[in-house]
Amino acid sequence: MIDLLPQWLREGLSEDVLFWLGYLTNGKHLAWYASVRFTLFAAVAGAAVALAMGLLGATLRNSRLLPVRLIGAGYTNMTRGIPDVLFFIFFPLAFEQTVEWVMSRSLCSAEEIATAVLWPPCPAANIHFDTFQYLLLASVSLGIVYGAFAANVIFGAMHSVAPGQIEAARAFGMSDRQVNWRIRIRQMWIYALPGLSNVWMLLIKSTSLLSLLQITDIVRWANVLGSPNFLPTAGLVHPDWRWQYYLVLLVFYIILTFLSEKGFTALRRRVGRGMITVED
Amino acid sequence: MKKLLLAAAALMALSGAANAQAIRIGTEAAYAPWNFLDDAGKPAGFDVDVGTDLCKRAGLECTFVANEWDTIIPNLVAGNYDAIIAAMSITDERRQTIDFSEPYYPPDPSRFVTNAGVNLDFGALKGAKIGVQSGTIQAAYAEANLKDGNTLQSYATYDQAMADLAAGNLDTVLADGPYLDPIVAASNGAIVLAGPEVSIGEGYGIGLRKGDTELKSKLDAALEASKADGTLDALIAKWFPGKGPFYKK
Repeated sequence: MIDLLPQWLREGLSEDVLFWLGYLTNGKHLAWYASVRFTLFAAVAGAAVALAMGLLGATLRNSRLLPVRLIGAGYTNMTRGIPDVLFFIFFPLAFEQTVEWVMSRSLCSAEEIATAVLWPPCPAANIHFDTFQYLLLASVSLGIVYGAFAANVIFGAMHSVAPGQIEAARAFGMSDRQVNWRIRIRQMWIYALPGLSNVWMLLIKSTSLLSLLQITDIVRWANVLGSPNFLPTAGLVHPDWRWQYYLVLLVFYIILTFLSEKGFTALRRRVGRGMITVED
Repeated sequence: MKKLLLAAAALMALSGAANAQAIRIGTEAAYAPWNFLDDAGKPAGFDVDVGTDLCKRAGLECTFVANEWDTIIPNLVAGNYDAIIAAMSITDERRQTIDFSEPYYPPDPSRFVTNAGVNLDFGALKGAKIGVQSGTIQAAYAEANLKDGNTLQSYATYDQAMADLAAGNLDTVLADGPYLDPIVAASNGAIVLAGPEVSIGEGYGIGLRKGDTELKSKLDAALEASKADGTLDALIAKWFPGKGPFYKK
């Protein structure tokens, strides 16, 4: 990487600066910087799933039918009560084994299933997820967990929409679905956004769990790069530098959440147009 | 006769090369010089060199994947990769879960290291803080023999245990001799070998899924050939200066 610098710049820089530039741009470090994509992907995809699950959960809880309402309430209450780390490890594993179980029923012989000591019963039913598939599973798990929080926020926001608006819509002869989509969901954003921005912050912070699923994300790389090295053949010899690397992660997450806060403020202004809000 | 066997092995290797089978090999990539991530971010080290040589001989197309030590056996059993080459000692306990190839490095005693100037009575170790990596043969040995009166401290990698020793948080670390030698040599006398040699393990082997006899026989044949023509000894001399030769007749 250092070779890419123009000659005059290289001559102008001191030995030390060049050394550190070289160290910080070696293949390992470049892989670390590039692994930010996993974090950002999981955050964005997780948020998309969470928003969809949130709208669904809130709509279910608003239903006129008791069983549907119970499903909505069950989802929001149960998922909010499970520690996100636990669900994060549980869901992808359970998903993988369920798929393998289904596959083994059709691909393995009855004899293999009966005598198997290992899982899965025969190699044909073995699936191996690559990093991207694990990333998708991680995003879905994040989406399910934070969807429950989002559902709660959206449910509350839907009820903050002025009752007169709903009554007026009904009086105009709108169907339930029309009232829901055109009046309630259209107007609830201004009430939901402060809560949703909180959920987004939590979700961003949870992306630091990706390494639990064998995804070499920024946290895993920081651990690898910071681990002490004693052998010149294995790279730069250095003591335990993990806290320095973790400090970089800390700053990264603070910048990320700071920028999102700015984004949400702008968004709030946008959806608040024409609405009477306390802030104005 | 030996020549004939070798020729047969070579023939097998050649016929295998025609339809190269892709296999994945798990390694810890945090245990230099056995296995580590090089500056380019790719697994490297003695284990990777041995694996690459064996795969070439057996006509296999191998890719190395890094996996944490804690889950390295479960992920082999779950099929996330097909073999483990990660300085894994062959033990009866591990044989209950996985199969092993023939050893590719002979048994080498485990050693204690301390900071220079620390004198421990290894004959009757009491009140010492001992560092090991969890899930290793040294951890099992310490659990069985050194637990009374001492504090055992487990780490996810040996590098972290060594860092804690250097920071003065541990009195001693028990680890593989071939892992400790280069560290002691590179420490300029700050870290020293101490106490008795502890003979545990039956040498280092390639971990395989139970019942995967096809891969086992391929790798064992390749290993036999690599031992016979001196390649393995050369790799040992390259990564562990002063060790061997162990295998060339």
